[in-house]
Amino acid sequence: MAHAEHHEAHMAHMGHNMTDSTSPTMDPHAHHHATTPGHMHGGMMEMTFHFSYHNVPLLFSGLVINTAGEMAGAFVAIFFLAMFYEGLKIARESLLRKSQVSIRYNSMPVPGQNGTVLMETHKTVGQQMLSFPHLFQTILHIVQVVVSYFLMLIFMTYNAYLCIAVALGAGAGYFFFSWKKAVVVDITEHCH
Amino acid sequence: MMPMHFFFSDKVILLFDFWDVHSVGGMVLSVFVIMILTVLYEGIKVGKVKLIQQAKTAVAPSISRENLGEPEGTSVNSSVGPTTSSLKKRLSWHLAETLLHMIQVFLGYLVMLAVMSYNTWIFLGVIAGSAIGYYVAYPLLCLR
Repeated sequence: MAHAEHHEAHMAHMGHNMTDSTSPTMDPHAHHHATTPGHMHGGMMEMTFHFSYHNVPLLFSGLVINTAGEMAGAFVAIFFLAMFYEGLKIARESLLRKSQVSIRYNSMPVPGQNGTVLMETHKTVGQQMLSFPHLFQTILHIVQVVVSYFLMLIFMTYNAYLCIAVALGAGAGYFFFSWKKAVVVDITEHCH
Repeated sequence: MMPMHFFFSDKVILLFDFWDVHSVGGMVLSVFVIMILTVLYEGIKVGKVKLIQQAKTAVAPSISRENLGEPEGTSVNSSVGPTTSSLKKRLSWHLAETLLHMIQVFLGYLVMLAVMSYNTWIFLGVIAGSAIGYYVAYPLLCLR
């Protein structure tokens, strides 16, 4: 069913008329295979890069790209998804740094009364697990893992448009979100 | 058809439909190319960190000079001049960094797709390349 539809679309796309397919010397199927090796074929997986916007499945069963417009939409959506991913990575990093700074600040040794030193708000592991920053980090981690797998699966379609969207989105996200980081945050020394 | 387990073979189609390997020599060459790509990936990872370090030393003095000069500077022109030039400098460093990041992301996915061919030779090439890349590039981090 899907194959028949696809084949029709392909014929229209290539500008053939139906009489071609009846000629014995030109098997439309063989022709189809010869001209478009990079085409999706009944849900079979592509193994090389290809430019196409017909019958491109995208992550979910209902989501199939069939027109140039849909491909453009998917391109933009994936671009922003990849951008969001970069932003999320950088946001998590800076959030973690902030919470670590506050923990260190909170657990400063404070001189108590009659000469004793009190460790102020030294949290136990359980308390740290239940703390809001850690729970928030965990949720963000889940989102990050899901999005990163989505991006990987999108790249795995071998569709060149979608791959370019992922790469450009990663670049744009890095450009905009790490701009502030470059000044504010000190880079951890790798050599001691 | 897509294989779903590792296998030894000298036949593989890698990434592009023109990268069609069906001989021992071709396979050796392909493993070598994939190895170079992986070494490059590791090198770019280190190179990005180096670039960030260099950008800090290149841009930071001008920023601190600005901050010092700001309370004293009374003329508008003198304060605008260095700000825009340092912004341009920062922008160019940041663009270079972004470009490296994009190449890193792209190479990372390419290597992933190469591994996904399930060809064991290619896989070993990726592992060897990663090892060599890390071994060579990581000490360069400490080089000033």
